[in-house]
Amino acid sequence: MELFTPDFGLVFWMFLVFVILFVILAKYAWPAIMKSVDERADLIDKGVTYAQEAKSQLEHATDNARVLINEAQQKQLEILREAAQMKTQIIEEARKAATVEAKKIIDAANVSIELARKESERQFRQQVSDFALQIAEKLVRKELSGDKQQSELVDKLLSDIENKN
Amino acid sequence: MKKYMFHRIALLFALFFACVPVMQAEESEEASFDAKEIIFEHVLDNYGWEVPFSHSNRISLPIIVRDKNGDWSVFGSHRVMHGENYKGFYIAPDGDFKGKVVARDEAGNEYRPLDLSITKNVAALFITAILLCVCFIPMARWYRKHPNGAPRKWFGFMELIFDMLYNDLIKPVLGADARRYSPYLLTVFFFIFFINILGLMVIFPAGANLSGNISITMVLALFTFLIVNLTGTKHYWKDLFWPEVPMWMKCPVPLMPVIEIFGALTKPVALMIRLFANMLGGHLIVLVLISLIFIFGSMGAAVLTGTTVISVFFSLFMMLLDVLISFIQAYVFTILSTIFISLARVRGEESHEQTQIKEKNEIV
Repeated sequence: MELFTPDFGLVFWMFLVFVILFVILAKYAWPAIMKSVDERADLIDKGVTYAQEAKSQLEHATDNARVLINEAQQKQLEILREAAQMKTQIIEEARKAATVEAKKIIDAANVSIELARKESERQFRQQVSDFALQIAEKLVRKELSGDKQQSELVDKLLSDIENKN
Repeated sequence: MKKYMFHRIALLFALFFACVPVMQAEESEEASFDAKEIIFEHVLDNYGWEVPFSHSNRISLPIIVRDKNGDWSVFGSHRVMHGENYKGFYIAPDGDFKGKVVARDEAGNEYRPLDLSITKNVAALFITAILLCVCFIPMARWYRKHPNGAPRKWFGFMELIFDMLYNDLIKPVLGADARRYSPYLLTVFFFIFFINILGLMVIFPAGANLSGNISITMVLALFTFLIVNLTGTKHYWKDLFWPEVPMWMKCPVPLMPVIEIFGALTKPVALMIRLFANMLGGHLIVLVLISLIFIFGSMGAAVLTGTTVISVFFSLFMMLLDVLISFIQAYVFTILSTIFISLARVRGEESHEQTQIKEKNEIV
């Protein structure tokens, strides 16, 4: 029956040893191990999610790059088209401006020519009248016989001058 | 290294075979083989510790006793080992206190003094405790030195078991309370596991049948009982004394409270008996199988050879099974302790929700 009756000495020592063992392990062993195992599990979880995110991001990145390249190419085409348009526009505008300018210059030239012509005509008339007066003076000095003949002569001379012009 | 290993193994074998004739010689000296006595001597506690390969030589362990006058005596167990009397103390050869240290009072009656001896089991207890500290304190230091590191080899193996308990058992069952109770549960598991395994190794630093001793399992079960009942919530106590059952089951005759309290008391008893009986059973079977060799030994060489082969084969099988049982019993003790604690940690809302779910299920 000794098998089934607890022995006081052994119970006492078991109680003491187990309490001391529990205190030692609970203070110096288990908390550190539990903390480390928990932290490492968290770290591994974080690492896995990070890797998954990175992978998906990488896939996204190639897609994004493709999209960006396409966009850039389209933009390039647009810019080229715009540039061509602008070129033709500028040329057109330049041409228009040039014609306007040319017309202005031509008009100005015409006006000055007209003025010059009028001026020269005026001078010419003055000279003619001077000449006529000089001729008339000469004629008067030479012979003052017939008034009729004289005036005819003057007329003739004048029309001659005019015809010459 | 491997070469030396081979040498060592060869040396061990040589030693073993050298011992065989000595053992046979001893056996022939003992005329009758008392299997029962031999088996119980191995299973029960002793004042000395057997020296390997020698039955009569014992390592002397201190005996600490207090007689009826209140005087303490401390002496080595070798002083009373072979029926000798030391300061009036001797080991009772028979009677109620057979195998224990006893003394006689003035009237000449045999009585048992208060006995706090460092017996074989107590010494094994110390060795186990030191071994546990030696295993786990360096492991904790390793973890502190290597934050987020993964241990290899021995620590890796210990972490495998640790992880199985902590992450697969304690955390899922106890949830938020896991951090609070896991030191106790882990200590219990590794303590039982170590004493079980050490109990299977037959020579000196190991070989004490600790977990097959009811004193040890009683203290372990008592700790679980104390923790369950001292940290139980209000709802646990309410369920114990005033469970949610129809009034007639608890009011005039406290039928349900009695059943509940009886249940709370049988839980630790079941824990105690289960571990004790399983480990004791394993030891007994192996011892009986080995004893068979000596019982049949007198029937001639052919019978002896046959029994030896069969017994060794079966005891090897049983020993391997015991290794498995050592682990399973430690695990079962821990599982049940965890579950008992979790049952005592019921929260009001949770239990209410659970009952609601139960009611719904019943309606469905």
